[in-house]
Amino acid sequence: MPNIRPEVAADGGIADERPDGTSRPEETARNDEADSDVVLRATGVGKAYGSRLPVGRTVEVLNGADIEVRAGEVVGIVGANGSGKSTLMKILVGALEADAGTVESSGRVGWCPQEELLYDRLTIRETFRLFGEAYGMDREAVADARDRLADQLGFEDFLGYRVDHLSGGNRQKVNLAVALMHDPDVLLLDEPYTGFDWDTYLSFWELTEELKKRGTSVAIISHLINERERFDRIFELADGTLEDVTEEGSTQAGDAGVR
Amino acid sequence: MMSTAVRLRVGLSATLREFLREPLNVALLVVLPPVVITSYGSMMGAFPRLHSMDAAPGTLGALNGTLFVATFLPGVIGLFQVISARSADERLAVCGFQRPVMFTSRLLAVVAASVLTAAVSLAVLATRTDVADPAVGFTLLAFVGVLYGLVGMLVGAVLPRELEGSLVLIFLADVDELMSSGLFRTDSVLVELLPMHYPHELFQSAVGGETLATGTVVASLGYAAALFALALGVYTLVAGEGGVLG
Repeated sequence: MPNIRPEVAADGGIADERPDGTSRPEETARNDEADSDVVLRATGVGKAYGSRLPVGRTVEVLNGADIEVRAGEVVGIVGANGSGKSTLMKILVGALEADAGTVESSGRVGWCPQEELLYDRLTIRETFRLFGEAYGMDREAVADARDRLADQLGFEDFLGYRVDHLSGGNRQKVNLAVALMHDPDVLLLDEPYTGFDWDTYLSFWELTEELKKRGTSVAIISHLINERERFDRIFELADGTLEDVTEEGSTQAGDAGVR
Repeated sequence: MMSTAVRLRVGLSATLREFLREPLNVALLVVLPPVVITSYGSMMGAFPRLHSMDAAPGTLGALNGTLFVATFLPGVIGLFQVISARSADERLAVCGFQRPVMFTSRLLAVVAASVLTAAVSLAVLATRTDVADPAVGFTLLAFVGVLYGLVGMLVGAVLPRELEGSLVLIFLADVDELMSSGLFRTDSVLVELLPMHYPHELFQSAVGGETLATGTVVASLGYAAALFALALGVYTLVAGEGGVLG
């Protein structure tokens, strides 16, 4: 997986990168314990978009963004439109290279992009077969995952339908299912419930709770986070950096950002 | 090795399904060759025979039309294969599907389209002029189709949208077809860099029943190998970045 550079310690956590002698022994022990839980860590991530042509202008989107996601945690990342949420997500999954900083992961990563990045003229079955091959799953594992997720998300009646013949909501369900089919350790979701009806929205949260119980971490990026009690931690992305706003609530996104 | 073969098969199967499920794609492959070859032949047939022409104007027109359609269609298919599926390909690559395998599966689909276009084009040409060596003629048409398929994939990897890519491809194919037709004698080395420069000469030899020049065959194969390496390298490096000029 490009850009994600796993640096896994012997205990399964992410390798400690601190220089020797920079913290007390008891502090190091506490940090080690916390570190062993970290499944995804981004440090000092920076990204600017600039045209390769001489006339274009450069826009700085991320400027030293840091985040750690621990095992079994549901994390929300909120930010105003254009704050760089999708850019951050793409960097975390390895779809985009950062200009600065590091991203480390100690397990399988699942990515559900905001737009349904699927092949329009393939059926749902064929879509699972193709992405299953990418994940390195055998036919049986693909079929099991497909049937389980179709049942959970409610698209079992459409398995033979082409993606471009599905409703927007069903396409989004397939988009999510593709991210989940290889049973990831960290699931990164970019505006996942756009287009969901109420029942699907509730099914989504049931699924998230189930994943959390199994130790899967879920990071949800959205311009709007409802029901903040569903999240263990909430970060706000503003001015290119991430701030933990779990206690105080979002400032930049305002009342509309976190409810 | 086995898993790469399976992955390639799954990728090719998905690519072909995507292509064949758009009826217009198949219709264009079958309908455009007769239209283009007949038009080129009729238009050139109205010209007087010039000193630089190796055959009757109508025959030359049909030959040029055959080469144009056999190159342009696979070129467009290669272009659209890369640009239209770029976002989904990016996700597939993030999920673990290696870009070289993705490239190869798309190229194999281009090969299939080139073979079909070559067969239809040669059949249409045969109704207008005698083709002395149909097997070699067919092979050469399929070959130039794959060459332009690679050009299309290269352009698709570099440019961000179908419109710009199509314009570049039309311009290139037009200039290439004109310069390699033999109508204009030029000593410019740049003309030798055009994809159809060597294959055009070979195709004319095959239609006329002449022996293919070994040096030209070697130059054509060398050109194809270099183009393949360039297209693969560029695709692998920049396709996921939205094109070099994105």
